[in-house]
Amino acid sequence: MDVYDYKELWPIIILGIAFFVVTVVVLYWSAKKGHLRNFDAQAKTIFTEEEPEGEVSDEFPPSRKSSRSLKDRK
Amino acid sequence: MSNESKVSSSSTSPYSSDSAAERAELSEIDASIRTASVFFVISAIGWLMIGTILALMAAFKAHQPDFLGAYEFLTFGRVRSAHLNAMALGWGSNINFAVGLWIMARLCRAKVDHKGVLFIAGIFWNIGLTVGVFGILRGDLTSVEWLEIPQYATPMLAVSYALIGVWGVMAFRFRKGNHVYVSQWYILAALFWFPWLYIVAQAMIIWFPARGVVQSLTNWWFAHNVLGLWFTPMALATAYYLIPKVLGRPIYSYYLSVLGFWALAIFYNWAGVHHLIGGPIPAWLISAGIVGSVMMVIPVIVVGLNHHMTVVGLHREVWRSPTLRFTVFGAISYTLVSLIGSAMALRSVNEVTHFTHFTVGHAHHGVYAFFTMIMFGGVYYMMPRLLKREWPSAGLIKIHFWGSAIGITIMVVALQAGGWIQGLQMNNAEIPFLQIVENTIPWLKARSVSGLFLTVGHIAFGINFFWMLFAAGAVRAKAEPTLLTKEGGAA
Repeated sequence: MDVYDYKELWPIIILGIAFFVVTVVVLYWSAKKGHLRNFDAQAKTIFTEEEPEGEVSDEFPPSRKSSRSLKDRK
Repeated sequence: MSNESKVSSSSTSPYSSDSAAERAELSEIDASIRTASVFFVISAIGWLMIGTILALMAAFKAHQPDFLGAYEFLTFGRVRSAHLNAMALGWGSNINFAVGLWIMARLCRAKVDHKGVLFIAGIFWNIGLTVGVFGILRGDLTSVEWLEIPQYATPMLAVSYALIGVWGVMAFRFRKGNHVYVSQWYILAALFWFPWLYIVAQAMIIWFPARGVVQSLTNWWFAHNVLGLWFTPMALATAYYLIPKVLGRPIYSYYLSVLGFWALAIFYNWAGVHHLIGGPIPAWLISAGIVGSVMMVIPVIVVGLNHHMTVVGLHREVWRSPTLRFTVFGAISYTLVSLIGSAMALRSVNEVTHFTHFTVGHAHHGVYAFFTMIMFGGVYYMMPRLLKREWPSAGLIKIHFWGSAIGITIMVVALQAGGWIQGLQMNNAEIPFLQIVENTIPWLKARSVSGLFLTVGHIAFGINFFWMLFAAGAVRAKAEPTLLTKEGGAA
């Protein structure tokens, strides 16, 4: 590719660099805001009173047969 | 106040604050996003079905060229492109909107305001896509892979996406508390990356076409990144939310999860160039793409290790949860497909796999075995909480899981084994090309068989979903926040 054709690549190279720069800026922002510290506390923020830590919150639903037999027992 | 204390004080118990005004109840948040999310899931399942039918047609045509050959709109080129766009923008993007925005709302503890805007934008997204896929079948498709949708349909998609994406960004902006869980990073980044990729690719290839090889470069920058910077982050966000959430155990190392995210953000953007190895572009650019691809080993190992260590000792719970069966299958696939992808970027490997079915198998490994399986898991977790109803049939969930798992395994093995042999033979000048093509037929037939398994799985999923949605009286009500009781036994 000669020098003239090379100019055709500039838009995508510049966009790639811009992409990288934005990522680094956001990484800096997150570090400044303290998001890269105190990892243990942040890992637990997904748990709630409704869906607490230490409880499995999903299982297969009961089969319709076992649902019926449970109802009969009641 | 130090930065550290800022975060910890706001993140220790935001859900259980004494102030009712500050405390965000998950059920309230779920209720606020119910209409939009259910609409997106319905749309996604609709496109999944359409995409599956188109996929079956394309798969059969690959070894039976006369199949439906008399209809112009069902020729291979059109059906295959319609399948790709129905799956990527129809199933993939709709399910990203449904699951991604729901997780974002929950983690931001933000009830959805202006939900009508989200709903209307969703309607227009699907109208735009319908016009686009119809245009492809009509013969108006562009010749650019992953961007085949005709020019007249793309503005509606762009505007609709802007309205949907802005909602996610606003939820993040007005979140309660300062903490940002790793899933929020992934979702927020994906919401920025996708329009960036789409607009640049549309502008440089379709609207104001760059010259020659730059179009190819932009094409593969887009096509590879739409997988890595749109579908991958959304699926990883979902996995990082669901695995610890369902098991009730925090992620093994939050530090590693953050490291994985930033490594993806920094390295992935360059990876797409490896599709042009051997092409007429500067060698340094291809080398940079190869370096980016190989560097992806870091986030992949990090994510794989983190997920694995989180489930260690709880495999029984994983197997008993429909959500985690799908999600963990997807998470394991992420590790495998990504490592294979990094290897494929090496020149010595690429000279065998390039222009073969190996690449097609790799694409399905990523988009289906990884992304789609995790999103199925997301739907199994999300829907009972949105509708406050139980899934009606455990049997249909199992059919769905086994249909999908067996189907995609057959497909990936067949296409990658067949593709590798095809590549070796193509590099041997003594084997006639037509013979190589004939040698691929058994592998292509195996792909069609895999498609039948997948179809059975998707039909089971669709029946279970609409049964749950419409047969309200026949479906057991959700009584507790953790809706699934133990008396029903395991899978």
